[in-house]
This record gives sequence, C-alpha cells and structure tokens, in this order.
Amino acid sequence: MENGKVVIKVENLAKTYEDTVAVDNISFEVGEGEIFGLLGPNGAGKTTTLEIIETLRQPSSGKIEVDGLDIVHHSWEIKSRIGVQLQEAGFYPDLTLVELLKMFGGLYQVRVNPIAVLRRFSLEEKKKSFWQKLSGGQKQRFSIATTLIHDPKIIFLDEPTTGLDPQARVNLWDEIRKMHKEGRTIVLTTHYMQEAEELCDRVAVMDQGKIIKIGTPHDLIEELLASGFKRDQEVKKATLEDVFLHLTGRHLREESPS
Amino acid sequence: MFIAIFGLFGSNSLNVSIGIPADQQNGPVYQALSGIKAVNIVSGSEDELDDKLTQGRLAGVLLSDKGVANPRLFISQANAQQAAAASSIVSGVVDKLNLRVANIQNPPIKLDIEEVSGRTFRFIDFFLPGMIGFALLSTAITSTAFGLIFLKKTLVLKRIFATPTKGLTILFGQGTARLVVVLAQTLVIVLVGILAYKFSLVHGALTLAEMLVLSVIGLISFLGFGLFIAGIAADENTAAPIANLVTLPQFLVAGTFFPIDALPSWVQPVVKLLPLSFFNTAMRKITVEGHFLDQMVWELVGLAVWAVIAYIVSSRTFRWE
Repeated sequence: MENGKVVIKVENLAKTYEDTVAVDNISFEVGEGEIFGLLGPNGAGKTTTLEIIETLRQPSSGKIEVDGLDIVHHSWEIKSRIGVQLQEAGFYPDLTLVELLKMFGGLYQVRVNPIAVLRRFSLEEKKKSFWQKLSGGQKQRFSIATTLIHDPKIIFLDEPTTGLDPQARVNLWDEIRKMHKEGRTIVLTTHYMQEAEELCDRVAVMDQGKIIKIGTPHDLIEELLASGFKRDQEVKKATLEDVFLHLTGRHLREESPS
Repeated sequence: MFIAIFGLFGSNSLNVSIGIPADQQNGPVYQALSGIKAVNIVSGSEDELDDKLTQGRLAGVLLSDKGVANPRLFISQANAQQAAAASSIVSGVVDKLNLRVANIQNPPIKLDIEEVSGRTFRFIDFFLPGMIGFALLSTAITSTAFGLIFLKKTLVLKRIFATPTKGLTILFGQGTARLVVVLAQTLVIVLVGILAYKFSLVHGALTLAEMLVLSVIGLISFLGFGLFIAGIAADENTAAPIANLVTLPQFLVAGTFFPIDALPSWVQPVVKLLPLSFFNTAMRKITVEGHFLDQMVWELVGLAVWAVIAYIVSSRTFRWE
C-alpha cells in the first residue's frame, strides 16, 4: 500500500447514538487493489463503520473520502462507484433472481446480462427461483453478485461468510480472490481470523468502537511472537477444517434451503 | 361492498311515516294524505302507534277520534325533523281542504311551484363520489405506507438505498404501481353505480374521463401522506394508528359519507381545508354539477398545496430503517 494510490481515507470518524458510542474516533486508509479487513467481535463497530463509508449513515464527526470524494457531499456519486453487500439485506420476495438482477441494472443505470452474472456465481440453475427460497450460501453468493452489476472498482463485503458451511466459505474465498485479481479494492468485515489471514493484505482490529491495531496479518503475528508469546501446544501442520474438507471435498453442495 | 350497502339507504330517506289507526282511515284528510307520494301511512292500534311515535319511528300520529272534521296530529320531539315535516304536510292538506270547503277558488296568496328541469338528485349521486374519495385515500395512504414498511422491514429498502437511486424514483415507482389500482377502483365504483343504482354520468364519457383524471391528481396528492407515514413508522404496529389518524377523521367529516353542510357551522371552514374535502368537492362538481376541471381551480390548488406539504415533510423525515 505504500506505493499505491489511497482509495479510501477515514480520518477521525466517530458515530454516536444518543448515549452510546458506536465508533470512537478511528482513522485508516485503504490502498488501491488491497483487500482490507475490519476484524473484531460482535458490536465492535465494524458494520457501522462500513455503512458510514457506504453513505448509508451519516458520521457524527470526522472526514471520509472514497475515490477522492467526500462521502457527505458526494453520496450519490460514491454510491454508483462502489459495490455493496450488506450484512443483512433483503430482496423483493416476488421477483426471480433474473428479474432482481435486471432491477439492480436499472437502479445502477447499466445493462446487465443476468445469466452471465448468475453463471459466474454458480447460480445459473436458480435463475427462476426466488431469493427467499435460496440456501444461506446461495443467498450470500447472490448478494455478492449484485455488488458487481455496475463493475465497481471498490467493493464492500460485510461478514460475507458468516453462517456458511466450509465448502461454501472456501467457494466464496475463491470468488473474493477472483474479484481482487480483476483489480478491485475490497473492504470486508469478519470475525473469522482464518478468513482474514487467508484473504487480507492488511487488517484493522476493532474493539468497542476503537481501532486497536492495523497491519499485515504476517506483521501482527510476528509482533506478537516477538513479544514472547507462545502457544500452549505446538500447532500441527493441518487443522480439523483441512481434515473436513479433505474428507467431504471442496466442491459446492446442492444446498437445500435452510 | 360499501357502495352496495350505502346505496340501499337512498330510497326511503325522504319519506314521512304517519300513523293512522286502521279504524280511522277514512275521511277527506286521510284520502288526501294517502295520495301524497312522500307520505307513508302506517296502520295499527292507537297504543302501538303511540309507542312508535315516542320511539321516533313515526313522524306523527293522526287521530280523527273527535270526528273527521277535527283531526288531531300528535308529534314527538323524538324525531324533530320528521315531526316538522309531518305537521307541515298535514296542515297543508287541512288548509287546502278548508279552502275547498269554503269554496274559495281564488285565494289572495297563491303559491306556484314550478319544477325546473334537471337531474333528480339521489343519494347515489352524493354517495358515489364520496366512495371514490374513500377508496382513493385508502389506497394512496394505507397501501403505500404498509407496502413501504414491508420493504423496510425486509431490508429491501436498505439495499436499494445503497444504490444510486433517488427518492424520487422510488416515489415514482410507488405512484405508478398505485395508478393502475386507483383507475381500476374508480371504474369499478362507477360501473357498480351505473348498473345497480342507475347512477348517470352528466356528460357521458367526458365526465368519466374527468373523474379518472381527478382520481390521478388525488393519488399524486395523497401519496405524499402514505410516504410520510412509511417514513416515520418503524413497523406495521406504529403505522396503523398513524394511518387511521390521517384517514378516519377525513372519512367522517370531509364529506365522504355525510355532507359537510351537516356539520356545525363553526367547524365547516376548517373541515373544508382537509385534503379529502378538496377532492370530494371537486369530484362532486364533476359528477353532480357537471363542471369541468377548469371550474374547480380552488380545489385543485388545495390538493396541490397539501401535496407539496406532504412531500416536503416526508422527504425530511424519511428513514429507511
């Protein structure tokens, strides 16, 4: 990120709701082409931070620029430059996936080829289904598919893999890496550390509205080890998740709707 | 459904029921009364008729127990309007008979009643435009508010707000979706009115066209209120009382089911400024008086002002969650 262009710049962002402080004076930058992770336990302020950058909420104070534009004064312009996957979002219950993609094409003022979008996310055979009838993994894939409709350079993913089985999670990681390879900047939140280690170039660790550490996963681990930290037990070369994926295979399951 | 029920009212609301015991149904006064269309003679024993009178179910009871030359009319304050109608009808009959008996061919004061040619105003003529206003306000406010709140709760609206979609686009979409419903319900109401209750359009198809145009204007105006409710209410439970607060009083006082003239005179000026009053008045000008849209500028300006207020307030208060 040192030599790249900065595409997201957050300076002293704070958000207070009546008597609670959701985000407490945080600052960070995201460089072009980075995968940046916001990590933290539930209630740390990750989603609020993301939704403010996505122009869905107003910051209480602070200055935020996305692609060089101030989020308060250029919210409409920013909305058309970013792709957004919300942690919780709904889609019209009586439209099929194809119709929904066409609708989003209309909202973003672009032409879409719904089948091609669905194919990319292995949802082609679900084209006539309704969103509600999809399984958790399919819902997430569809939700991420809607972020790419207008081919944005910056993508926000809020807990994209929460609640998914290991196959679906691994599959989504592949999709995220693919989006990254296409040159997009990706900001994601997660509370799975393995996910952050696999995907993120840099991470910010949040707790109680504050950023307590920023760095590359490698540097943060080295720093901890340098301070004399030692795991109780020597880590094996494989995890139980590796065993699980080895036994059941990495291919996506024909998930039945949950 | 409403139109079917309320349409039944019209037929006998102007009748005056006068009770005359069966054994006294004779003599010139009785004969003259039974010849009047608006008078409905009710038979029964004297006691029965007295009971009905005190309950307000009869306008008056006519007894000729002291001879046909000295009829006695009993009226009751239980139904003051009907009582007044009964006494004026009966005294009119008696006066006329007296003149005849006195053989006065040429009374000094002579009232000529001339019927001006025109449409007979029936209850359906009052009721049908009100019905259109009722249906329009329900659709525009209740359907819009609950439709949007559903989208809000299912977070569809949140996802849409993450796209570069202007509020105006959503408003336009809501308007278009309701447009079809509003035009259809106006047509159905008119159709039922024509088929079942012989409602007639003053200028035929032109009147119908004007009614449809006015319905669309009303929709645009009322949609802002639906949007306002959807914007401030978090869920159906909070929306329902607010929607009722906006619609119910208007159904009752804005000339929807009862004429505004029937209200105490001091509230009339206020009531006439309600959005639905403007709509109902304009609609009646079209259907009853046969006016055209350019003859109701005041009502249209009123609707426009309400629309502007509703849109400004709702755009300030709208929240997508």
